[in-house]
Amino acid sequence: MDTIATILSSVLAPGPFLAMIGSSILGVFIGALPGLNPVMAIALLLPLTYSMDPLVALAMVAGIYNGSMYGGAIPAILLRIPGTPAAIATTFDGYPMAQKGEAARALKIACWSSAIGGTASALALITVGPLLARATLAFGPAEYFWIAVFGMASVGVLVGNDAVKGLMAAVFGLLLGTVGLDQLSGVPRYTFGQTWLLSGLDLIVILVGLYAMPPVLSLAEKADLSGLSSRDLKLEAVRVPWSEIKSIIPTWIRSSLIGIGVGILPGAGGNVAAFLSYNAAKNASDDPKSFGKGNPNGVAAAECGNNADNAASMIPALALGIPGNVVAALVLGALLIHGLQPGPQLFHQNPQLVGGFMVEMLLTSLIILVVGGAAATRVFAQVQRLPGVLLVPSVLVLMTVGVYVINGRVVDLWIMFAAGACGYFLEKMSVPLAPIVLGLILGPMAEQNIRRALLISRGDVTELVTRPISATIAVATLALIVWPIATAILRRRKAAREPANTAPQDRTTP
Amino acid sequence: MKNLLIGIALLPLVTSPALADYPERAIEVTVPAPAGGGTDTSARKLAILLEEELGQSLAILNVAGGGGSVGVTQFMQARPDGYSLLATWNSPITTVPQVQQTVYGLDSFTPIASTSETAYTMCVKPDFPAETGAEFLDELAANPDKYTYGNDGIGGTMQLAAERIFQQRDIKAVAIPFGGAGETLQNFLGGHIDIYGGSISPVLPYVESGEAKCLIVTSAAPVEALPQAAGLESLGLEAQETLLWRLVLAPAGLDQAIADRLVAALEKTVNDPEYVEFLATKGELPNVVAGEALTRRLQTEYDGLAEVSKKLGLSQ
Repeated sequence: MDTIATILSSVLAPGPFLAMIGSSILGVFIGALPGLNPVMAIALLLPLTYSMDPLVALAMVAGIYNGSMYGGAIPAILLRIPGTPAAIATTFDGYPMAQKGEAARALKIACWSSAIGGTASALALITVGPLLARATLAFGPAEYFWIAVFGMASVGVLVGNDAVKGLMAAVFGLLLGTVGLDQLSGVPRYTFGQTWLLSGLDLIVILVGLYAMPPVLSLAEKADLSGLSSRDLKLEAVRVPWSEIKSIIPTWIRSSLIGIGVGILPGAGGNVAAFLSYNAAKNASDDPKSFGKGNPNGVAAAECGNNADNAASMIPALALGIPGNVVAALVLGALLIHGLQPGPQLFHQNPQLVGGFMVEMLLTSLIILVVGGAAATRVFAQVQRLPGVLLVPSVLVLMTVGVYVINGRVVDLWIMFAAGACGYFLEKMSVPLAPIVLGLILGPMAEQNIRRALLISRGDVTELVTRPISATIAVATLALIVWPIATAILRRRKAAREPANTAPQDRTTP
Repeated sequence: MKNLLIGIALLPLVTSPALADYPERAIEVTVPAPAGGGTDTSARKLAILLEEELGQSLAILNVAGGGGSVGVTQFMQARPDGYSLLATWNSPITTVPQVQQTVYGLDSFTPIASTSETAYTMCVKPDFPAETGAEFLDELAANPDKYTYGNDGIGGTMQLAAERIFQQRDIKAVAIPFGGAGETLQNFLGGHIDIYGGSISPVLPYVESGEAKCLIVTSAAPVEALPQAAGLESLGLEAQETLLWRLVLAPAGLDQAIADRLVAALEKTVNDPEYVEFLATKGELPNVVAGEALTRRLQTEYDGLAEVSKKLGLSQ
């Protein structure tokens, strides 16, 4: 009990407290600007914090991380441009809502969902995290292979109305994922002797091009000289009725659990969590057809899922010293700088600091409610009022700057523009873009891990399904694929039977 | 960025660099790794101290990709005027050219000085049938292809460091490449691979908790933090030493006076107690080697790695 009191008082001291508020605001802005991402912001900020109190430094990490995950939703809803990779799934229903004039409601739901996901995740980090961390060690290459396949199986939800086009997009994504130096053989693939292709296609570069350019170009096509008038914006005091909140609660619970589960596994990120949550929400819905057309549950699932990934991704980092993503690696670096060795003993040796960081992850999730709900949303929603002639060049400049600073390479800008042109034409041909990104993320994960698993088993394929965890995920994947087909066949039979009640039945029944 | 712009703006005004006044404008330091990694944090920390020492600001430019070769390739366009430096770890210079086609070689640079170094280690679970480095190698040699070892990627420095030792003793172990030491550690602790191969600091807490037994380090001398691990010298393999080390380079043809000025500044800042303490948190030790000695160090390592990668069939 004493520890909790001292932790709270040290976290709520002026230094860390102001750092949390300031960095949450900063995080929302970073997330909202396509190209700029939390990894970069934290990487650039941390060296400046070496001389500070570690709790202040960690407060900044927590604020930027949680803030940016919500911030990514703002352009996703308003402009169909995901501010971060994890906000792709937010565009599916967020943008249709905005088009229906419900932008403010979508933003409010996104904000609440982010805060709830983040809070649930932080609570998991504080309570069960350290115990669960050990269990994740049972996940080896074979298990990660199946997780990637499971994620890919969910592509069915994303392909839209035309399955062939959706699958083509997914395969295109898989192909893009093979570019670069193969980690397992050291052989360059599809690099055409170009050094800059050796490290593969950077996910954020492709994403910004693919996802941000088509909406910008379609804005440019309209070439409108005036934006929305402030009267049409309808931002003031949107009330989300209790009945609607009640209908979202199951989505929040489901997405929080999915986000935490994905986060605790090193190597799978917020984007995977958001896709899986969205998928689960759609499957569980009574009216799956309404998804993609502005269902608030879609926004809630995606935003809750990606924020629930945040604190949970710190569990393996803090408990085992194994960073699950780049942000966690940066946090580990920051702890080391302050003389703390992450790993099993960290909790015993320095409960103050670890506990403090966990509480900061929790508090920054709640700060989002205030910062995001009251301030940032209103500021950013003004973007809609900008006329296209101003908005298009501004977004293009921001994208270009954001992409350039990721690797400091001009060639990335050309990749971005190429991906943008690609995305623009694919969209004109109504090819869905999400499967491309999913293929790009999960393809390399599946490929590398199946090869690692086979190296370890000396080529014995049965190892992939005889281990208990991998077998479970394999069966779940199979069910995910077979279930919709089976229900569709059953429904069709039923439909065929009912109107033609006489003819076929006569033959079978004497 | 601002300094960089000012530097570019001043460029036409500086007609003949007066060496006595070097440096009289900002220095751009290319780091061929992403912001936030080990090489980047080392360089940024050092840059803060160097700014005080040189009285000019240093602008860090991260150019990531291709195991460092993308940044180094871009750096090849820089002029040897002392205002463009490369802060890198050894792999892009000595390892990457073995397995990739690169436009640069050792003679493309004026070596300034090395800054810090750390060894790699190989660790096993406590029930592994060996207690010393010698027994470890004997066990591996007696059981070809029985054990799997994780490393940081095929053709990476860690794998080559291990294979240099293995080839001397006719050891065949199955290399399982992972994305980095964290992933290797995760798979080692989960029992998916038999041997952890990677940098020392991630595995250190598990040595203290008794879950890992580190039996060998890839430096000639033993490492204080890992008393059970044998240094290569005690195994008669000191010629196979392979370290992870960091260094500062300039383009070939740099004026000797400027190089000397930089060596003096690095000598002072690297050994600054603040920097030494910073290095210790990452398990690294300061070691400033400059001039001819550094050229020899690079050449020896380059030749050793060329030999092992040729035997592994990885060479370009």
